Amino acid sequence: MRIALVASLAWQDYRRDAWLSACSVLALAAVIAPLLVLFGLKFGLVSSLTERLETDPATREIIPLGGGRFSSALIEQLGQRSDVSFAIPRTRQIAATAQVGARVLEMLPTAAGDPLLDGLPIPKGLDQIVLSHTAAERLAARPGDLLEARFARQVAGRVEEQRTRVQVLAVLPLEAFPRDGLFADLALLEAAEDYRDGGAVPALGWPGDEMSAVEQRVYPAFRLYARSLADVEPLRVYFAGQNLLVSTQANTIAQVQSLSRNLSIVFWIIAGLALAGAFAAMLAGALAAVARKRRELSVLRLLGFSTAALLLFVMVQALYSAGIAAVLSAGLYGLAETGLNRLFVQVPGEHASHLLARHYGVALVAVLGVSAVAAACGGWRVARIQASEGIRDV
Amino acid sequence: MLNLCAVHKSRGVGSQRYSLVIPALALRAGEQVAIVGPSGCGKSTLLDLLALVLAPDQVGQFEFHQQDIGGLWRADQQSALAALRSRHLGYVLQTGGLLGFLDVRGNIALPRQLLGLEDDGSVARLAEQLGISDQMGKPPAALSVGQRQRVSCARALAHAPQLVLADEPTASLDPLNAERVMQALLDRAREQRAACVIATHDEPLARASGLPVRRISCRRDADGGVTATLGEAC
Ligand SMILES: Nc1ncnc2c1ncn2[C@@H]1O[C@H](COP(=O)(O)OP(=O)(O)OP(=O)(O)O)[C@@H](O)[C@H]1O
Ligand SMILES: [Mg+2]
Repeated sequence: MRIALVASLAWQDYRRDAWLSACSVLALAAVIAPLLVLFGLKFGLVSSLTERLETDPATREIIPLGGGRFSSALIEQLGQRSDVSFAIPRTRQIAATAQVGARVLEMLPTAAGDPLLDGLPIPKGLDQIVLSHTAAERLAARPGDLLEARFARQVAGRVEEQRTRVQVLAVLPLEAFPRDGLFADLALLEAAEDYRDGGAVPALGWPGDEMSAVEQRVYPAFRLYARSLADVEPLRVYFAGQNLLVSTQANTIAQVQSLSRNLSIVFWIIAGLALAGAFAAMLAGALAAVARKRRELSVLRLLGFSTAALLLFVMVQALYSAGIAAVLSAGLYGLAETGLNRLFVQVPGEHASHLLARHYGVALVAVLGVSAVAAACGGWRVARIQASEGIRDV
Repeated sequence: MLNLCAVHKSRGVGSQRYSLVIPALALRAGEQVAIVGPSGCGKSTLLDLLALVLAPDQVGQFEFHQQDIGGLWRADQQSALAALRSRHLGYVLQTGGLLGFLDVRGNIALPRQLLGLEDDGSVARLAEQLGISDQMGKPPAALSVGQRQRVSCARALAHAPQLVLADEPTASLDPLNAERVMQALLDRAREQRAACVIATHDEPLARASGLPVRRISCRRDADGGVTATLGEAC
């Protein structure tokens, strides 16, 4: 028996029963569309939350607490770990500020790969800086401007001061660093550290004591970012093992991750119950269809349809319903998505309700599969249809 | 081609029992016969047996197209029976038996499609002969009962089967049309060298069409049940 012929006969019968067919489509769509909306909300909200966490580098920052003693080699080694995306030494508190204009700015070391300066030019040498948004506002500085940075020290009760010209390479967006800050090459911070220690900085022509080159510089801290959210907690554990207390966002991350997991569980419970209900409805529908079409089915049997072909006839009709219901549900979901995304206030680029193409694909396959199985179970009764029963009353 | 010997079929029990006995029935290719008898005597039951849709209870011999039908029923070989029906049988049901979801053309063409046969114009030719050419696009529900029976005749002949069974094919037709349809049916069957069994209560029409007539006679048994027996040609 040719499948195409059976499918075409099934379609003609399906079309003639348009009203009943529409009912079964609506019954299915009534289950699928709300499930899509539910899943869209779950996926949209959870991925918004995790995206927010992932795009904000501050979530991945690991801040050492209390002073330590780190060599540059050790920090370089940390930076090369596969779970670390960026690590750079920090100089002592003494070199943590610079006076620019009338403002005292926090100074931070930076280098290529700094997630805070993502997409911006990296300051190099002693004469380039990147300003934070608020600092640039207060100084009315714009990229390309030349500024004067002043560093003061007290030597034997006398206040001394040196200045150097620096160029503003770029200004950070507000969300990257909310305070008054200045990002510069580590060399500039080391120069400030040396100068405030009373030493000379030959590179800038600043006078002072000769610094011994033999002694290796020791850093009290570092700026370090984990490569991904999932790397934060293992790194915390690693540092704890090294007897180094660190502060991380591991708690926030864990909360979001457990929220996501719990929402998934809730969703799958609801989806499972709803699909079981849909399965029962489709099974009943298939049983009713076999009973209703008994006369037609027995005529087809008389004309030589095998049991398999009759079963296919019933299953194909269920698949038609499932396919149409899936498309209808996707359309209804699309409407709901637009409405929901308008209803929930949100940051641009984030969605309260959102589905990917593969979600639609999985939903379609699941609906078709469940319908086919339900129809096969319900339609199994066609095997018992005898041509002699039905043909008497057609 | 068709050969039955001592085939029994019973339905119901006690005083509701109805039994059909076929002592002997043999048909060669192209041979035609009419079965007559009063309403309820078992004409449709006999045709259902011959159409391989009703399982016989006892079989002395039941051979169709070199196949042991009794054996196929005993072994519950439904698909083998279905294949035989589809290829070699055309059955005009008493009630038409048209598929409501296909139009007239679709109904007539279906047996050929099921066999994967191309339409060689026989659908249109049959419709012409049976006077239903102008009804081809209609659904069966929009036809008169007589028209439905003619469509059913066309469907039974469309795939040139070896055995054509017709259950009261002219019951709902006026005498003129009855004769025309009966003649068309018999002519086509003769053309195709198909054996033909026609059940009718219209014995004069059967005789006028030149068919040998076999009568089913009923007798009430001691238990209140009925036994019907297919008689010899008379
Ligand atoms: N499913 C059934 N169960 C029990 N008895 C049945 C069944 N079908 C038919 N019968 C009985 O079998 C007998 C023969 O029925 P059948 O339909 O073959 O008669 P018929 O000769 O075709 O009559 P008509 O000329 O009215 O069509 C009837 O007495 C009927 O009551
Ligand atoms: Mg009858």
